[in-house]
Amino acid sequence: MLGDFVTVYGAELARRIRSRPFVIGLLIGVVGVACFTLLPQLFISLDATSMYRVVLVADPPLAHRAADLLRQDFTIVATLPERTPDAALLKRYKVAAAIAVSRAGSSLRVAVYAKDPGNVAEGALRRDLIPLALEQETALPPRRIATLLKLPIGVHPVSSRFESSAASDAAHGIGFMLIFLLYIIILFNSQLVMTSVAEEKTTRIAELLVASVDPIALLAGKICSAATLALLQMLVWIAAAVALHGGPSTSSHGPAVRVADLIGAHVMSPEMLIAFLLFFILGFFQLSTLFAALASLINRIEDLGSVTMPLVMPNVLAFIVALLALQAPDVPWIVGLSFIPGISPYIMFARMSVSEVPAWQVGLSLAINAAALVAIVIAAGKIYRVGMLLYGRLPTLAQVWNVIRS
Amino acid sequence: MLVADHLCKEFGNVVAVRDVSFAIPGGTSFGLIGPNGAGKTTTMRMILGILAPDGGQLSWKGARIDGCTRRRFGYLPEERGLYGRISVQEQIRYFGRLHRLRPAQAAARTKRWIERLELEEYAERPCSELSKGNQQKVQVACAAVHTPELLVLDEPFSGLDPVNAEMLLSVLRDLMKDGTTLILSSHQMWQLEAACNAFCIVAGGTVRASGTLAELRSRWPTRVIRVAPASDSVCSVLDRVAGAKPLDRFDGTIEYEVPASTRFSELLARLVAADAITRFEAVEPSLHDIFIHTVESTA
Repeated sequence: MLGDFVTVYGAELARRIRSRPFVIGLLIGVVGVACFTLLPQLFISLDATSMYRVVLVADPPLAHRAADLLRQDFTIVATLPERTPDAALLKRYKVAAAIAVSRAGSSLRVAVYAKDPGNVAEGALRRDLIPLALEQETALPPRRIATLLKLPIGVHPVSSRFESSAASDAAHGIGFMLIFLLYIIILFNSQLVMTSVAEEKTTRIAELLVASVDPIALLAGKICSAATLALLQMLVWIAAAVALHGGPSTSSHGPAVRVADLIGAHVMSPEMLIAFLLFFILGFFQLSTLFAALASLINRIEDLGSVTMPLVMPNVLAFIVALLALQAPDVPWIVGLSFIPGISPYIMFARMSVSEVPAWQVGLSLAINAAALVAIVIAAGKIYRVGMLLYGRLPTLAQVWNVIRS
Repeated sequence: MLVADHLCKEFGNVVAVRDVSFAIPGGTSFGLIGPNGAGKTTTMRMILGILAPDGGQLSWKGARIDGCTRRRFGYLPEERGLYGRISVQEQIRYFGRLHRLRPAQAAARTKRWIERLELEEYAERPCSELSKGNQQKVQVACAAVHTPELLVLDEPFSGLDPVNAEMLLSVLRDLMKDGTTLILSSHQMWQLEAACNAFCIVAGGTVRASGTLAELRSRWPTRVIRVAPASDSVCSVLDRVAGAKPLDRFDGTIEYEVPASTRFSELLARLVAADAITRFEAVEPSLHDIFIHTVESTA
């Protein structure tokens, strides 16, 4: 049986690695990773050249004071005497907005004239101009106002593995990325196993194969080769992400995130990487084995969708719940779901990404998934053995149950 | 020698094989024939271990058939299948590897089979691009690449043109010379007659007749004779033969069915005395006739 397994494994691996779906999937993944990592920076840099590029309209003495303050966040292209800004003005200076600052008695009046009112950095504007407004109202010296406004706020983690809010934010981001990766790779590669089984069944090569090798060795070789390629795919994608994201940030907005920093700030740890790998292996083997068993029952490729939909839907739901778990990792129902086989690889890993999950919970979840995998392999093996030679009508659930019990 | 002893197999309420027994000496070819649904494919699947018999026993060279033994068997199923995207060469080599040939051995055998079946120009092409007949040849190569001890072929001639059918017959004869035992199932009786040493007629899951063609013919109760000219005097001689029955008249020839026990030399002498006989032919029943008669008479 081991010899059969090695032969099937080697042949499937060689066949798949050269196959168009695998190569295209790999490249699409790299492009996807690039989009994930570079697009936010690109948006920020676009913001820097549009949202923060402004014209200041104010009387000269006020304009001078306001410009000094606004330069903390904005690029002031021109300072103009008081007038009502219009579209022609914005077009001439190629800016997103004109900021008009004037006095109204002892108060300060600020108006923004923008092409897109939704694209105005109001927060930054308010933060920058508040000292000027207070100076107008209170006649306090600007230095005193500046001191008062720089109120230090200390954030102290309590029972958290993160040392700062930035590390926590990074953990959420990394957690999202890894769960997404887990979801895509498990689903994509399980579907490759499924189509491979369906192809063997519908082209009727199955009978020749099961006459030559043990069906279980055939299935195991197929699934293990897909798992190997999935790991390879994952390594390439993660390497691409590290290469694209691990370097210094080119943007002046937003912090750069380095892998070493993530490990140093306890965002990632070797234990988490091991757990990620284990959850991937368990999740992938569970789903691909079930997919293979169901694919062995169909007679036409067109039937695949209807047969496997009941398995795809829980995975989609598990992914959505995992995203919720990133926000509320310790809510009781989420904790409960993180022990349910099939869906727990996503949910438990999401919890682990952003909170301190007790080791016994992780261990229990892994053990339940491993036990479920054994049960799935036994049941799916029986279905696969029979299904590969079964032609005609799709079997009923009762018939499938009889096969499992046999 | 392959021995099947009282095999039976049921699928739910359907009895596919009720009681099938036969013995096939090593290095011979054996025709397993029967109408659709007779249980031939199920019997073949049991021999190959694809299905487990519900009752009865199978043995090969006196020992029970296990996984190791089956690896030395080959199979060409009725429903053909190939990996469409894989090249002919790679496909045959893969099946060689599945039957435990070493990589170099599998490559050498693949090359030999491609040459033997005249598939050289298609060797690098994906199987889906081949004609049905050439796909059939690739499947034969996949089934026989490891030079099996026992080769089971279910409808091996379907889809082949007469030239390729003749080539396959020649390939099967070569395999037999190398010691391979063959089990063939086909509805093309003349090809089975040419290819097999012995036959087993199965209907309704049971064996209805078995033996060599000569043995099957010896059990046939009648013979057909063809005589020309179809004159009244010839007819009157034939009508006097006990149990004789006129069948047909064509191109000046008359056809009669007479008992197998008829003494043909005496009959010919009487006919020559009655008229100027230009044709006298005693036709042995074909496998086709025996099959039809056996199945209909036991239905």
